[in-house]
Amino acid sequence: MNIILIGINHRTAPVEIREKLSINCEDNDGPLVEIMEIPQIKESLFLSTCNRVEVLAGVADVHSAVENLKSVIFSLGNLSSEELEQCIYIYHSNDAVRHLFRVASSIDSMVMGEPQILGQVKDAYSRCIEHNSSGVTLNKLLHHAFRVAKRVRTETGIAGNAVSVSFAAVKLAKKILGDLKGKTVLLVGAGEMSELAAKHLMGSGVSRIIVANRTYRQAVKLADDFHGTPINFDLLEENLKEVDIVISSTGAPGYIIKKDVIASALRRRKNRLMFLIDIAVPRDIDPEVNTIDNVYLYNIDNLQEIVDENVSIRMREAEKAEIIIDEEVLNFSGWLKTLEAVPTIVSLRKKVGEIIDSELQKSASWMRNLGEEEKENIKILISSVTNKMLHDPITGLKEESQNDGAAPYIAAIRRLFRLDDADE
Amino acid sequence: MDVLLFKIALCAYLISTLGYITSLLVKRVLAARVSTWILSLAFIIHGGSFLFRCIETGHSPFINLYDSLSFFAWIITGTYLAFQVKTKTRVLGAFVSPLAFLLMMVASVQLGGDVSISSILQGRLVTIHVILSVSGEALFALACCAGVMYLIQENFIKNKKVGGYSRLLPSLRDLDRVNHVCLLWGFPLLTLGVIAGSIWARTAWGSHWQWDPKQIWTLIAWVFYAILLHQRLAIGWKGRKVALFSIVAFLILLFAFVGANTFFITSHKFM
Repeated sequence: MNIILIGINHRTAPVEIREKLSINCEDNDGPLVEIMEIPQIKESLFLSTCNRVEVLAGVADVHSAVENLKSVIFSLGNLSSEELEQCIYIYHSNDAVRHLFRVASSIDSMVMGEPQILGQVKDAYSRCIEHNSSGVTLNKLLHHAFRVAKRVRTETGIAGNAVSVSFAAVKLAKKILGDLKGKTVLLVGAGEMSELAAKHLMGSGVSRIIVANRTYRQAVKLADDFHGTPINFDLLEENLKEVDIVISSTGAPGYIIKKDVIASALRRRKNRLMFLIDIAVPRDIDPEVNTIDNVYLYNIDNLQEIVDENVSIRMREAEKAEIIIDEEVLNFSGWLKTLEAVPTIVSLRKKVGEIIDSELQKSASWMRNLGEEEKENIKILISSVTNKMLHDPITGLKEESQNDGAAPYIAAIRRLFRLDDADE
Repeated sequence: MDVLLFKIALCAYLISTLGYITSLLVKRVLAARVSTWILSLAFIIHGGSFLFRCIETGHSPFINLYDSLSFFAWIITGTYLAFQVKTKTRVLGAFVSPLAFLLMMVASVQLGGDVSISSILQGRLVTIHVILSVSGEALFALACCAGVMYLIQENFIKNKKVGGYSRLLPSLRDLDRVNHVCLLWGFPLLTLGVIAGSIWARTAWGSHWQWDPKQIWTLIAWVFYAILLHQRLAIGWKGRKVALFSIVAFLILLFAFVGANTFFITSHKFM
C-alpha cells in the first residue's frame, strides 16, 4: 500500500481557483464517493476548507491513481488542466504523511496556529468512517495525526499569543482588568477594527457597551448590533466614569479625549483602572493620558508591535513543531514498514493452522478412544510446539521490516512454505 | 515526631520553591502547577508538626522568634493557597514559596534545642498575642509580595513591554485584590494582637505600654497601615500608590519584627 496526498492550498492556488473548487465541495460526501470509485484507490480521505482541498489516499498503483485523482478534482472545479497543473501538489509516502501532520498541527494554515483546522480534519475523518473509506493504514495515520497535533499544541507555543490587533487588545484588557465580566466598554466612532475588538470583548464576558458617535443616528445603528447603549457625543465625558475600556477610532483631526478629562473621570470612579485603546490615525486620545496613574493607553502602533512580536514567536515555535513532526513521521513510517510483513505472517499462521486441522482429522479414528481431557491436551501440545517454531521467524521478519530489509526474507518464506500456492 | 515533620515540610518547601523558579525560567505553567500541590503538602505537614509539638510539650508551639518565623511561613503559605483557589495568581507562589522556605531555614536553627520556657510566657494570652500578631504580619507580607509584583507588572504594561515575563504575571486587578484583602484582614489581626499583648504586659510588667523599641516600631508600622487602609477605603486609593505604600509599611514592620531585636536593647525579646 502506498500513501499519496494530492491537493491545492492557499499558497499554491489563487482564490479564484479555490472558490471554484470549494463551491462544488460544499456537499462533502459527493467527492469522497467519486474518489472511492477509482479502482486503484483502497482507502481515502477528502478534506475541503476555504483554504485547501486535499485528498489523502492509500493506493495500489501510484501512477494511474494520481491521474484518475487529478481528473476527479479537475471535473469538481471545472478547471482546465493547465490551471490545475499550476497549483496542484502531490506528495508520496513519508512526504504525504509529513504534509498531513503539518496541516493537522496548523503549521500549514494561513494564520499559523489557528485551531479550526484540526476540527476540520476530524470532520473529514468522520465522513471517511461513515462511508467506510478508511482502512488499517488511514485509520492509524489519522489517529497518529491527531496525536501529533495535540503534541504540537501542548509542547510548543504555536497557538499561544494573539496574532491580530483586536485579540491583542482583548488580551491586554484581561492583563489589566482581570476577569472582564461586568466590565463596561465605550466605543467612540466606528470602524472595522474597533467593532471587531468590541465583538471579541463581548465574547470575553464584557457586560455593557456604550456607543458614542458624532452623528447620533450612526451611534444608534451600531449600538443595535451590540445590544449597547447609544449616547450623544456631548455626554462622552459624563459617561467616562462608568467605563473600564475605551476604544476610540474617529476621523477627528485632533485629540478628542484629553488628559484632564480622563483625570477627572478617574477621580469620580475612585481610581478604578482604565484601559484606553486608540485605533485612530490621527490619534484621538492625548498620549499624555498614559502618564496618569492607573490609566493605560495603547495606540494602534503599540498593538501592532505586540502582534508582530507574537507572530515572530509563532515562527520560532513552528521550528520546534517541525522537529516534533519529523520525529513522528519517522515513528509512523516505522509502523508502516512492519505492515509489509503482516500479510506473510498471516498466511503463514493460516497455513500452519490448516495443517494442524487436517492432521487432527486424519487421526480422528484412533483418537476416538481417548477421553475429552486427553484430546484437549494433545491439541494444546501441538499448538504450543508450532507456536514455538513460528515464533522466531515471525519476530525476525518484524525486525527486518523495521530496517527496510524484509523483502528477501518475505520472498524466501513465501517460497519455502509455498504460501503463494496456498493463497490461491 | 514534630521535628521529623518539620524537616519533611522544609524539604517540601524547598522542592516547591525550585519548581516555581523552574516554571519562571522555562516560562511554563505546568511546573508551577505541580509546585502548588507540593506547597499544599508542605502546608499540611507543617501544620501537623505544630500539632505534635503542642501535644508533646503541653504548651503553645509559638513562643520564641524561631517559632514565630516558622508560624509566619505557615500562615503566608496558607493564605497564598487560599488565594490560589479564588483567583488566578499562581505566580505569587514564586515569591511566597522561597520566602516560606527561607523563614523555615532560619527557624530550623533551633531544631532539637532546648524548648523549656520561662513561666512568664506560659499564659494563654501570650499564645493569642503571638498567633494574632504573626498572622497579621504574614498577611502584610503577602500584601507586600503582591505589591512588588504589581509594580513589576505595572511597569511592563505602562511601558508597552507585555511580552516575556509580563505574560507570567497575574493581571493588575487580581494583584490589587490580593493586596486589598490582605490589608483588610491583616490590620484587625495585628491590632487585636497588639491589644492582647498589651493586656498581658499589664499582668507581667505592670503597665500596658513600655515604650520599648519593638513596640515603637510596630506602632509606626501600624499607623502607616491605618493611613493606607483609610486612604484605600475612604479616598479610593488603588493600584500603584497602594502597592508602594504597602511595601514601605511592611519594611517598617519587618524592622520591628526582626531588626529591633538586633539594633536596640529591648525587653520584648525571648530567645
